[in-house]
Amino acid sequence: MKKTLLSTILLFVTVFLFAQRKVTTSAVVAFDATTAIDNQAKAENKTVIAAFDTKTGVLQFEASVKNFAFGNPTMQNHFNSGQWLNSDKFPKMTFNGKVNDLSKVNFNKDGAYTVSISGDLMVKEISKPLNTSAIITVKGGVINATSDFSITLADYGISGASMESGKIAKEPKISVKVELN
Amino acid sequence: MAEVTKKKTGSLKKILIAVLALIIIGAGIYWYVASEKFADTSKRKSVYIVKALDFIKEFLQNDSLANKKYADKIITVTGIVSGIESADTTINIKFIDKATGSYAIFAFQEQHLNEAKTLKAGDDVSIKGSCSGSIYSDILGTEIITFKRCALTK
Repeated sequence: MKKTLLSTILLFVTVFLFAQRKVTTSAVVAFDATTAIDNQAKAENKTVIAAFDTKTGVLQFEASVKNFAFGNPTMQNHFNSGQWLNSDKFPKMTFNGKVNDLSKVNFNKDGAYTVSISGDLMVKEISKPLNTSAIITVKGGVINATSDFSITLADYGISGASMESGKIAKEPKISVKVELN
Repeated sequence: MAEVTKKKTGSLKKILIAVLALIIIGAGIYWYVASEKFADTSKRKSVYIVKALDFIKEFLQNDSLANKKYADKIITVTGIVSGIESADTTINIKFIDKATGSYAIFAFQEQHLNEAKTLKAGDDVSIKGSCSGSIYSDILGTEIITFKRCALTK
């Protein structure tokens, strides 16, 4: 009897804990390093894994570097090459962080909430702190989040003549869109 | 004296024509590379045609070998749709190995986005796309295989 009760409680606790962690495997991350003289350096990855704990604010992302889809084949080859992202050696990039002001968000009430996020962005196994803001929208129990920020490519050991000549932005814009059910 | 000047002018002309030709060729190559686009995946030839669950199992058995074999190639994968997920304004299709949670996920090419929207879980389909290989997800604790620029072939 005691064992059955314990198992039931454990089951309820497990279900409750998992309900707090929302996961999608279709978050969208867009990369835009275009400049006034070249508009090819932009790509989108629509298969990014994102997890968000609505109780603790812990936020995680994982993206396959090779699944950034460019319109231009040469640009995609450059992006994956050893000089840039070296995707054969470093196949994924990650973000591990948290929503700092989670108390601003009422997940039981429809609305748009602006929050601050901090964490570490790891590219090519180089980890750098990232602080940005995001808009969390709650509608009918569905959580949408968007965030826009820039990164400095040199921070991750990415440089080259195309950046010096102004064809590629040294600080590309990154935009993130996530839908969590 | 006049003959020497004539010869010099002739050489200068040749050099100018050569430089001009190089500039035109360089501009042509740059224009070609800059305006190049990925072809429509539905019109490209598949390097491999595989069954979804067998394909996922190959990655689970030896991801290094499977990545060497499939990554950066056009692959057609057939199987029963396990899941559909919205990705911003578009839809991704998934084949999931229920025993391990590993999956292959397909993001569609712009001109084929509407094809993905017609699908539902349980549909028997063939999807052709550019395989990006696999990564191990620490979040999910499993191997995942991603595709880009996909098109529905069945």
